[in-house]
Amino acid sequence: MKIEGYIKLSVIQYNKMKFNILISGEAGKGPNVLTHLLGRALVRKGFYVFYSRDYQSLIRGGNNFNVLTFSNEAVYSNDFKVDVLIDLDEKGLGIHKKRLKKETVILSGKEKNMFFAGEIFKIYGLDFSLLERELKELKERFEENIKEARKGYEKQKNIFEIEVPDVDIILEGEDRFFINGSKGISNGAIDSGLDIYYAYPMTPATPVMNELAAKQIENNHVVIELENEIAVANAGVGSAITGAKTMVGTSGGGFDLMTETLSLTGIAEIPLVFYLAQRPGPGTGVATYTAQGDLNIARHSGHGEFPRIVLAPGDPKEAEELTSQAFYFSQKHQVPSIILSDKHLSESFYTLDWKSKITISKKATEFKRYNSYEKDKEGSATENPEIIKKNIEERIKKKRFIEEEAVVFEQFKVYGKTDSENVIISWGSPKGAILDAIDELDVKFVQILYIEPFPKEIWRELIGKNLILIENNATGELGELIKEKAGFNIPDKNKILRYDGRAFLRDELEFEIKKRLR
Amino acid sequence: MKNNLDTKTKNTWCPGCFNNQILAGIKKVLEKEIAKGKKREDFAIVTGIGCHAKIFDYINLNGINTLHGRVLPTCLGIKVGNPNLSILGFSGDGDAYAEGISHLIHTARYNADIKYFVHNNQVFALTTGQPTPTTEIGYKDKTNPLGVKNSPLNPIKLMLASGATFIARVFADSKQIEYVLKEALKHKGFAFIEILQPCLIFHKDIGYKQKTYWIDEKNHDKTSFAKAWKKAEEFDYNITKKIPLGIFYQIQKETFIDKWPQLKELKKQNKTWKDIKR
Repeated sequence: MKIEGYIKLSVIQYNKMKFNILISGEAGKGPNVLTHLLGRALVRKGFYVFYSRDYQSLIRGGNNFNVLTFSNEAVYSNDFKVDVLIDLDEKGLGIHKKRLKKETVILSGKEKNMFFAGEIFKIYGLDFSLLERELKELKERFEENIKEARKGYEKQKNIFEIEVPDVDIILEGEDRFFINGSKGISNGAIDSGLDIYYAYPMTPATPVMNELAAKQIENNHVVIELENEIAVANAGVGSAITGAKTMVGTSGGGFDLMTETLSLTGIAEIPLVFYLAQRPGPGTGVATYTAQGDLNIARHSGHGEFPRIVLAPGDPKEAEELTSQAFYFSQKHQVPSIILSDKHLSESFYTLDWKSKITISKKATEFKRYNSYEKDKEGSATENPEIIKKNIEERIKKKRFIEEEAVVFEQFKVYGKTDSENVIISWGSPKGAILDAIDELDVKFVQILYIEPFPKEIWRELIGKNLILIENNATGELGELIKEKAGFNIPDKNKILRYDGRAFLRDELEFEIKKRLR
Repeated sequence: MKNNLDTKTKNTWCPGCFNNQILAGIKKVLEKEIAKGKKREDFAIVTGIGCHAKIFDYINLNGINTLHGRVLPTCLGIKVGNPNLSILGFSGDGDAYAEGISHLIHTARYNADIKYFVHNNQVFALTTGQPTPTTEIGYKDKTNPLGVKNSPLNPIKLMLASGATFIARVFADSKQIEYVLKEALKHKGFAFIEILQPCLIFHKDIGYKQKTYWIDEKNHDKTSFAKAWKKAEEFDYNITKKIPLGIFYQIQKETFIDKWPQLKELKKQNKTWKDIKR
């Protein structure tokens, strides 16, 4: 197994610095545009930026906020405590009181969002021309924005003295990307040769639909919204059997509606790729927040016994790579694949180095006679016991072939102190907070990327160690899977589970991990 | 024989079942099309679940015998995957009007180029006789010993309201099937064809054939919504004096494929997505 750690490009020539900026404001006040603009400007100057979005299920009003963390070293998470609060509607101070430190800089007032952009650039001593360039590229309301920004810039003074690298990085160039998980998934799908994407709108899956829809003419694929998730999944089946590379996307509730069709793809052996972006359930749950509660439905949904692929990326780069692997396995073995993401991964922006490794797949599907019934050689329905038994055995056999082949892919990754007595196990989006939290701790981190087929060799990493489970759910679904597949029982006291709809924050997580280290 | 669409599967419809009339009519037209130069591979078949679906096993065309109620989105997906295919969908009344009714409404609205045949026997036959959305008031069976109380749905009116561009009703007679399939194949867009197909076991022919009459094509303006609506109201699937058959309504509208430049181009080049190398 390859041991992969995140290379820190900026070998510590100067002191590590890191800032958390919380941008708060009611929906409609423009906290998102401001956050993204600031993020872009910082990445282009060589900083690493991570920002997450916290928004409510409403269009105007409420309290939305983004936390932007930037550093001169790689960063993949936010802290609870923040260094700067930008309060766009004068309500944020009260709401986010607990996140403030004594020295937190508070920017508050009735001004427009770009006024605060000007202020923040000045606070960090960033050149105004950088902001001007971003506003120019934003295009919308340039005259008004630049006026506001200049006012803010002139009003503020420089507070933090930071070393600004003398670089101008091309975003999404060859070696650095400022990208969210949704873009990772859609890039992965396009790189895999996607022809058709069907979806019905549902948070947090919709951003993938938006990304793919925006690129459909340029890339010559098609994105179609249908009347419900059942139509989406079945249209997916129809297209997939014609040989088109086809993907469908939804969140938990919509996926529930698709599971009858998932079962159909099992018996009819149809290479359909499902994108499942998790949010808290059951039911409507908490529509715009994050969770990892759907590992079990990804593994078990759909009646009957049939092989499937379930892959769980932990950052946008893995999202691209695993999406291409999902297409690969689906096409090669004519099975359904499920890509498990969540709101935190799909909507947070990461600064990542390197281009992804895309797995190329052929279009291996022939248009022939498919059946939801057990079928004979002609593709017609059969009730013959021998044929039924043979068909089932053929499908189950595929599971073995897939397991054997999956070994050449990185089914899990190992980070941190590889010889440590302490081992963290996790999957999906908590990866970012874990990597940042364990930076200086005596702990190894094992990230599972292949939920199905599950990496059989994982026991070698876990045996005899102090195991700590970290998941964004209430029952520790991965922990149960490890118990089932590898035979390790992680004690409840060593389970760090967060299930309030929010993602893990680095400082809080580090505290929780430290308590459990041996 | 080259043009033969026969399969090896044994026919398991009840002796004398009207489904055989439908099968005969469909096969005859398709085999003729193939004799005239079309290929077997130019057609696709999709069926749902119920007695009607056995037609999949008796016509050797590519496609899928899919889930109950999901014939139309599957047809749509095939059309999007390969816009050059001529797609025939078959459903029962349970499939079309109960489990899959949302898809029926929307596919009509999309005007996707699909020829859709509903074998309406006004009963769930393969599950032994329960009422469907088009069963008449008063019908009794083991699950409804007190008799059906709800009014039946009028699918012709539903299709008119949903924007279908070709709406027909025929009786399960091979000659009528041949006629309507030929007309439907000429139509560009969604063709809805309801077939009155009495079930010999659970919903006997209550004299339908004697009550049917053919719409006078010369005096019926097929492009008139109002006239089609009036015709549709003559039979409410309940108590019946006369049942109009034929093409109620036919207009031309942009089809689903033509609404998407990518799909339109694929069709123009006579290609499928599978042919697109990336």
